[in-house]
Amino acid sequence: MNRQSDAALVRRVLAGDTGAYGELVARYRDRLGRYAMRMLGNEADAEEALQDAFVRGYRSLHRCTEPERFGAWLFAIMVNRCRTLGAQRARRQRTVVHDEGILARAAVADTAERHAWRETIAWALRQITPAHREAFLLKHVEELSYEEMVEVTGASVPALKMRVMRAREELRRLLTEGERV
Amino acid sequence: MSEHDDWLAQAVEVLREPVRIDPALDRRVMAEIERGPAPDRPGWREVLRRPFGGQLAVTSPLGGLALAAAVALGALVGRTWLAPDSTEPPSTLGTMAASVAEAVQFVIVVPGATSVVLVGDFNDWSRTATPMRPADGDGVWAATVPLEAGRYRYAFLIDGTRWLTDPSAPRSLDDDFGPPNSVVTVGAT
Amino acid sequence: MRRITRWTIALVGAVTVGSASAHAQEPRLEGRIPEPARQTIDLLLDSARARGLPTEPLVDRALEGAIKGAPGDRIVAAVRRLAGELETARAVLGDASAAEELIAGASALRAGADPDALAELRRARPAQSLTVATSVLADLVAVGVPVDTAVSAVLSLATGAEDADYIAFRRNVERDVALGASPVAALGVRLDAVAAEADLGTGAGRTVAAPRKP
Repeated sequence: MNRQSDAALVRRVLAGDTGAYGELVARYRDRLGRYAMRMLGNEADAEEALQDAFVRGYRSLHRCTEPERFGAWLFAIMVNRCRTLGAQRARRQRTVVHDEGILARAAVADTAERHAWRETIAWALRQITPAHREAFLLKHVEELSYEEMVEVTGASVPALKMRVMRAREELRRLLTEGERV
Repeated sequence: MSEHDDWLAQAVEVLREPVRIDPALDRRVMAEIERGPAPDRPGWREVLRRPFGGQLAVTSPLGGLALAAAVALGALVGRTWLAPDSTEPPSTLGTMAASVAEAVQFVIVVPGATSVVLVGDFNDWSRTATPMRPADGDGVWAATVPLEAGRYRYAFLIDGTRWLTDPSAPRSLDDDFGPPNSVVTVGAT
Repeated sequence: MRRITRWTIALVGAVTVGSASAHAQEPRLEGRIPEPARQTIDLLLDSARARGLPTEPLVDRALEGAIKGAPGDRIVAAVRRLAGELETARAVLGDASAAEELIAGASALRAGADPDALAELRRARPAQSLTVATSVLADLVAVGVPVDTAVSAVLSLATGAEDADYIAFRRNVERDVALGASPVAALGVRLDAVAAEADLGTGAGRTVAAPRKP
């Protein structure tokens, strides 16, 4: 099977072959979806942000001036979408967070199963600010360099380093002190 | 979870686990795309001036790593050195319809000038791209340039040394470099 | 435990080997911009490109600085400033905005327009290009109209005016100012004229300006 490069697909889409975009969506869906899930904390929001990012990527595709870097270009759009969606959701959900915290702590105390650990990590991520969460995910999960993070977030290297450090401190506190319960 | 420093490694291991998004999302994306407008066509300048020639033979989303590694090692791999991807269909860029351009005439009266050059955003601020020609009348110079929709800043360079703005045009508010510019705005046809 | 697999946002600009940069170079800047500045500008272009911002206006700004003989650091500052304005313009005008809309939007921001005003303009004209409307906004400020007044004028025209109407409006204001009117007075007179024509026309309250012959 002839697997076309991202650049080839992008050029086909720009030439009018809209269907070729579907192949790009399939390629990046899970990768970008993972970031959205970790950033937003639930599947519904992640899917909404993901769909939004893909559609925006299509509509502004002519501005992807390096089609071979389509993935990176799309990822920057994704980071942006997660910020926007996260901010919208946060305004509506402020009162719910501490209840989830109680439930998550209870889960850690009751069981050492991996499932509970995942829930705990997800809960801990929700406790830190979106800016810290974003920096932490980009550095430790997506494994970007700081220069790459500058590209994707628009923040400066010192600011990003500070956010990653703070995120680590907060997560360490949240994830290790629970054991002493 | 007993190790104090292990928390990060274990958290990151979990977070890096792949996530499966419902493939039905693909259909929703394509449906929304098909309901809306096609991507805007690039202007002719963008198409002609993509800074990288050649095509990168990327066979997977991870293929970009190879390029980054090569560059990081300082290997002289400019993008133009990379072999074209032989699985690609012939480029269709040449057949894409360019956006419609409008012929815009610039006129300025400069008695006593020996040369007048039009420079601006539309010709890379080049002192050779758009020399103006003497037109009917004393000291009248003219040039016509095809411009697509957009806002363009420009100025006149007189005898290679003196800058003039266009008295009949709006002034640009950009004060980046001293000599001020004029503005021409072209609407979509 | 570290995974080797990663997909790359290949910011090649972050890597410099000796004195030669291994990142993408904009050929048009070569020989026209002094060396340390040129490398910085290439990095800025890479960054803008990766964020999906148009790079042509940034190259144009650098080339303008070159032909005007500006020192390297001033050119860098100008490019950086414009990149920021383009990014802000995109944030308020939307990801799907065309490059020329962002360029014109950046000019409006440079003229002092509030970003929220541009967002409002987008809402008022969701289906049409904002290039001319935002460009006219900047032009009105350049002729002496206070920026908030210019913003109000452009917004009040937004629902009914075509691009040609905006350009005609601006020409009329400029002519009146050239003839001695104060910019605000000229603006007011022309806005009233537009409103009057709307009343005489459909009477539906939409602002419709008939194209004026020079």
